Amino acid sequence: MTLLGKLDWSSIPFDQPIIMGTVGSVIVVIVSVLSWVTLKGYLPYLWREWITSVDHKRIGVMYIALALVMLLRGFADGIMMRTQQAVAAGGAQGYLPPEHFDQIFSAHGTIMIFFVAMPLVIGLMNFAVPLQLGVRDVAFPTMNSISFWLTASGVLLTNVSLAVGEFAKTGWFAYPPLSELQFSPGVGVDYYLWSLQISGIGTLLSGVNFVTTILKMRAPGMSYMRMPVFCWTALASNLLIVAAFPVLTALFAMLLLDRYLGFHFFTVDAGGNAMMYVNLFWVWGHPEVYILVLPAFGIFSEVTATFSGKSLFGYRSMVLATMAICVLSYTVWLHHFFTMGASASVNAFFGITSMIIGVPTGVKVFNWLFTMYGGRVRFTVPVLWTIGFMVSFVFGGLTGVLLALPAVDWQVHNSVFLVAHFHHVIIPGVLFGCMAGYNYWFPKAFGFRLDERWGKAAFWCWFLGFHLAFMPLYMTGLMGMPRRLQHYDVLSWQPWLLVAEVGALVILTGIICQIVQIVVSIRHREQLRDTTGDPWNGRTLEWSTASPPPAWNFAVLPRVDELDAFWAHKQRVLAKQELPVRQHAYQPIEVPKNSPVGFVTAFFAVVSGFALIWHIWWMAGFGVLGAAVTLLAFMFRTKDEVEIPADEVGLFDRAHPVEVSP
Amino acid sequence: MTEMRWDVAPGDRPSIPASEQNASSGFLVYTLGLLLAVILTVTSFWVANTSAIWAPGVPAGLTVLAIAQMGVHLVFFLHITTGPDSSHNVLALAFGVLIVFLVLAGSLVIMANLNENMMVHSELMNLQMQR
Amino acid sequence: MNVAVEMDAVRRSALLNLSEAGPAPKRVIAGFGFWTFLLSDIVMFSALFASYAVLAKATAGGLTGVQLFDQRNVAMETALLLLSSYTCGMMSLAINSRRYLATFLGAVATFLLGAAFLALELREFQGMIALGATPQRSAFLSAFFTLVGSHGLHVTVGLAWLVLMMVQLSLRGFQDVVVRRLHCFSLFWHALDIIWVLIFTIVYLMGVLP
Repeated sequence: MTLLGKLDWSSIPFDQPIIMGTVGSVIVVIVSVLSWVTLKGYLPYLWREWITSVDHKRIGVMYIALALVMLLRGFADGIMMRTQQAVAAGGAQGYLPPEHFDQIFSAHGTIMIFFVAMPLVIGLMNFAVPLQLGVRDVAFPTMNSISFWLTASGVLLTNVSLAVGEFAKTGWFAYPPLSELQFSPGVGVDYYLWSLQISGIGTLLSGVNFVTTILKMRAPGMSYMRMPVFCWTALASNLLIVAAFPVLTALFAMLLLDRYLGFHFFTVDAGGNAMMYVNLFWVWGHPEVYILVLPAFGIFSEVTATFSGKSLFGYRSMVLATMAICVLSYTVWLHHFFTMGASASVNAFFGITSMIIGVPTGVKVFNWLFTMYGGRVRFTVPVLWTIGFMVSFVFGGLTGVLLALPAVDWQVHNSVFLVAHFHHVIIPGVLFGCMAGYNYWFPKAFGFRLDERWGKAAFWCWFLGFHLAFMPLYMTGLMGMPRRLQHYDVLSWQPWLLVAEVGALVILTGIICQIVQIVVSIRHREQLRDTTGDPWNGRTLEWSTASPPPAWNFAVLPRVDELDAFWAHKQRVLAKQELPVRQHAYQPIEVPKNSPVGFVTAFFAVVSGFALIWHIWWMAGFGVLGAAVTLLAFMFRTKDEVEIPADEVGLFDRAHPVEVSP
Repeated sequence: MTEMRWDVAPGDRPSIPASEQNASSGFLVYTLGLLLAVILTVTSFWVANTSAIWAPGVPAGLTVLAIAQMGVHLVFFLHITTGPDSSHNVLALAFGVLIVFLVLAGSLVIMANLNENMMVHSELMNLQMQR
Repeated sequence: MNVAVEMDAVRRSALLNLSEAGPAPKRVIAGFGFWTFLLSDIVMFSALFASYAVLAKATAGGLTGVQLFDQRNVAMETALLLLSSYTCGMMSLAINSRRYLATFLGAVATFLLGAAFLALELREFQGMIALGATPQRSAFLSAFFTLVGSHGLHVTVGLAWLVLMMVQLSLRGFQDVVVRRLHCFSLFWHALDIIWVLIFTIVYLMGVLP
């Protein structure tokens, strides 16, 4: 079967009941959703308003939806591992065979980092940054759509690996020589490499897009020191994307050359050097941590200031700390491989830089605390996530400082202590931040708030479940338990792992609460409706327009004279005790024209990615050609923008007055 | 609104709108750049092949010449200046250079150090083989 | 929105500070965006350079740089690329003063010089492969072919882009969008020359030092 490369019926794991059951139910869900959409006649609407949309708000929402769906997949992997480790003690083998367990931990890491955390963060930036900057869209709207759909392509390929073939069994960082052809002859590593390569290009493009947007497109008068903190953190994060993702692209290209064309970058023979992979992987990998966590810090800053009714304490120090982290994050990567044989002096250098990077992070924590101090804090759902973050993240950060000591790292490296540590910074740091942002900006995106009670229930389940699930891992880690064990013989670990399993179940309850929250909120949307555009008494410009905002965001670009422009405006209006005159000569507005180019390019990217994974060369050529022709057609497009007439702008604007609440 | 000013686009000469850039002065800038680049290139090739220079100093000399030539390209072909209206472009470039430096220097130091510690030295290998 | 109305009324004073001028014109946005992309491209090359530097001595008993590199060929390649950068500059000048003929001439010269560079590079690769120095032979050769080949791939993309832009120019004339894209092309082309400076210094000149 050369026509289909390595692909044949044996590629589908019919003999694995767990996989087949999952695949079956996923197919049922997809088919029923698709047929529901088609029967209801929503397809044209979806195509017109979402799939081909280049509106940053729509793209942001799609990113977040994608991430939340993938969170379910990633969490399913996680709870499967916890269950396996809860039962596979002593002689027991549990219910997962080793080669399946290996795929699960690789997929869990890959999906959670690349397809949950990244899309959540990028989605929130997409939604909020242009609104906060007071502009109408990002710098390159069509490229934004391409970025999103390429990310979705990566997601699709990763999930196809569940049904057709296998996923990598190498861990989420695919270290060679294990990931080389010699030791991983299957398609698993190829799935990993191509899906990350495709989505990585999308991420890189959106990094370029946001750096340009933030540096070149801000409302008149918004100088750098008047930018909301979230925009600052987004800038830092996207600078890191631009600086770090190319390294990953080059690195994966080298591994692909090794696997496909027999090159010798990281092989054991012919002079290859596997350590170079480890080195370059973490050149990307450490900045990646900050790519994820910095925007979350920005969200916490916005939430803290808004719900404390005070301006952020130490705005300048916050900006300085953000940019310091941005640069410092590029000087610590060796702490991911202290045990690989560098000399004491090199290890000490990177140990010290790793501890230094904790300082600006500490500055931020104090700033949030001082913002809340003396403020009238409203304990809404976003605030709960924020406080939960502060309590847990400080602890997780401290275990990080501990691990930054090479001598300690030598004791606990590759143990579940490390697993506990990085979950302890990423879940409270990134995920809690994104959940806070999701609850905070939801009314802006859809015009109604999320239900508070279910939101609070979800938070408490997540918060308690998280601690139950990961605190025991510190203990077993210190007791010497390595990570990624399919089964173990030390029975004294089992009680701890049973507690961890309970924690995972509590998190599951939290996730169910979140699903209920969104269903309940949609059903009760009329009671939860936000007609003011400013449900939280906000401080920044996104609250100065209607909820949901029109395609053009602002009828007239706001003029900014200070930090927290919208807040200051409301104060002035209240001081004068009168509403400002609402008359304005509206201008027609040009908004970028919708384009299917992102979707079509991504389709061809999936085709060529799949073909390359299975060595179907003609199909790979077809995919690349298709993508090239699509982009070429886009290049020759004559009309980039559609004009919204001034009347329509004025009509919408007058129909949605932004009220000033005291 | 006449006071509105922005940074120039990278590659544009500062303070002059692209359409009004004087062609003859532009020609002079590019030609001067070409001349300087040629001189630096020729010097590089000469340095690499001559025995007139103290041998251990050659790599350092080549590095300096390469950096100088990149500077020439940036200034004369890409019109990077220190003027206030190209500060964004220069800052972005400086960030990129910093990252490139960190990646290169960091990787080289780390890998050299790892090799030193982890690789079996060839003399040792020989000793083992002789035994 | 009423915010905007009120803000209109507030000081519309002279905007002295660059960073307060509001959204930049499209040429600046496009140029800066592409500049940022180029920086990321250069970071990608830095990873390839780092790999090359680390693996340069890992010849695994195969041919070494000293045996393989032909300085005369490299000098010719360098001269061609440098000249094409110069003609690309001439093309930019012609675009800025909206002269069709000079633009096309500049593009043709740039294309021919770039194509000649590629031809020389391919001939060099061919010669090396004929000697048995394939990228599969050793880590050093893998890194060499990847680094230099990536640059060559960029040049190829640049050439295709240039042809496309000439088609667009002849169809659409000096429309803003065409001029912006040509401007990005020239940034790309000059950046490739800068990367080549590093390649000939690090790979070819330092690679043959005793």
